[in-house]
Amino acid sequence: MSTDIESIVQNIFFEVFPNLSKSDFSWNKEQKDYEHWDSFAQLNLITLTEARFDISFTLDESIDIKSASDLLKNIKSHLS
Amino acid sequence: MNIVDFLKNSANKYPKKPALVCENESFTFSELWKLVKNFSLPVELLNPQNVISLISENSPYFVIAYLGIMNLGKTVHLVSPEISEINLTNQITSSNSSMIVCSDTVFNKISKFNSIKIPIFQLNNIPKNTDSFSSESNEIAYLIYTSGTTSEAKGVGINHSIVEFATKNIVQVLKYSNSDVDVLPLPLHHSFGLGCLHVSLFVGSTLILLKNSSDLQNILDTIKKYNATTFAAVPATLTKFLKFNENNLNDYFSNIRLVITNTTKIPINTINFFKTIISHGNLATYYGLTEASRSSFMIFNKDTSFDQSVGKPAPQVDIKIDNQINESKIGEILIKGNNVIKKYWKNIESDKNIIDGWLRTGDLGFFDDHGYLYLVGRFDDVINIGGEKVMPDEIEEIVKQIDGVENAAAFGIDHEIFGQVIKLHVVKSKNSNLQKLSILRFCMKNLEKYKIPSKIDFVTNIPQTDYGKVKRFMLK
Repeated sequence: MSTDIESIVQNIFFEVFPNLSKSDFSWNKEQKDYEHWDSFAQLNLITLTEARFDISFTLDESIDIKSASDLLKNIKSHLS
Repeated sequence: MNIVDFLKNSANKYPKKPALVCENESFTFSELWKLVKNFSLPVELLNPQNVISLISENSPYFVIAYLGIMNLGKTVHLVSPEISEINLTNQITSSNSSMIVCSDTVFNKISKFNSIKIPIFQLNNIPKNTDSFSSESNEIAYLIYTSGTTSEAKGVGINHSIVEFATKNIVQVLKYSNSDVDVLPLPLHHSFGLGCLHVSLFVGSTLILLKNSSDLQNILDTIKKYNATTFAAVPATLTKFLKFNENNLNDYFSNIRLVITNTTKIPINTINFFKTIISHGNLATYYGLTEASRSSFMIFNKDTSFDQSVGKPAPQVDIKIDNQINESKIGEILIKGNNVIKKYWKNIESDKNIIDGWLRTGDLGFFDDHGYLYLVGRFDDVINIGGEKVMPDEIEEIVKQIDGVENAAAFGIDHEIFGQVIKLHVVKSKNSNLQKLSILRFCMKNLEKYKIPSKIDFVTNIPQTDYGKVKRFMLK
């Protein structure tokens, strides 16, 4: 299950950042290290994740997501 | 010249010619004029405001009452038969109407409205006037409350001079003449249908009035039966013909020289379809508001370059674009001309939208380099996401391309960080298994990232006006 979620989160990142290659993806890579991770990309990450997992993030949660790892952690807390 | 003079003049010129046909009833110009002249109201019930409410489905008696009230020097307050009690009460209060004249069907409905305190008469049972009274022509011919794409209904009083100006423009641009036979399935309580009636009376053509715009076979049979030369319909009705199971549409439309439709954006497939079935004429559209009737005209022809346009400004009407957004050519459409009202009906706040004769329409549009006007949406509907302005129509057009989407409406909702984000309502096609995720993915492939909807809801219907415009204020 955990692997499935991780795989889905990775794919969300690839959808929101089409130029991101598999080799460039890292769970701990931070927002500031992404060329196109601006506030709109953040919004799209959240929107796509909410639709994919049928969950809803609070505003604070949305703001605090700064890496793929953060996103994964938040998803898991909603699904647990 | 007032509107009643249109009929009077045609009755003098063509007394025995059929003026109005509706189902099994037919009236020559002379007969119609006689009925209008004899139309009477109980004078003792009139108040100084001189407004009479008329509520009826399409019928010859609507036409007789409409002209008859004006012939008595009164203003006709036109109301949709579908109106709710609260809206009717508000309109009666605002208009200060003296009485309601209505069809039997409407009478059965509104006579149960406890909040209506003025007399209500059926069209065929109006008490005769016992006293004579002055019938000086009232400057305002009719009063309509707009209930379109904005939330607050505004009273729009239309002067006889505006009708004369707009009617002459329609006749000039679309070349109406007394040899026309006009099929009209549009409601007469709305500006579009009313404008068509005025034209027929003005030029002395024959008007074939239909009560139902959804019965396509009846429309076709009527066109054929009367050898009609013009046909007026909203874009939604025209689009239904695309799916209509009738192979001989060209035959039905063989004598038609003009199909006229109106403001709402017409699907390109519909335009192309009608170009093929009207072999001896044209499809045409216009852009206008109740406040600024027939401000531009577009006649579609073989050149497809301008098919998404609503045409060029009408004769002696000026249109300009103001408040451009995102440094583009797109901005709010302003109109000035003798077709534009001078002020709203007792509405100082709305009067602020008319400055030096220029009416701020609230519509968004732009001109191309050839002077053709294009509509983009409503100024109020622009969604501002962190400073990026988004037109909802653009999102809707993309989403409607997705298999399984029957209809879609985008609008802005408040957001603590961005000010607004986009919410999307989607009506799924029957038996569709469409998922929100699929919609988002399609949007991400086809739209800039700031245009991706943040929230999606599946709904059973999207509120729209009779003319197919989304009532976004009801979604927010």
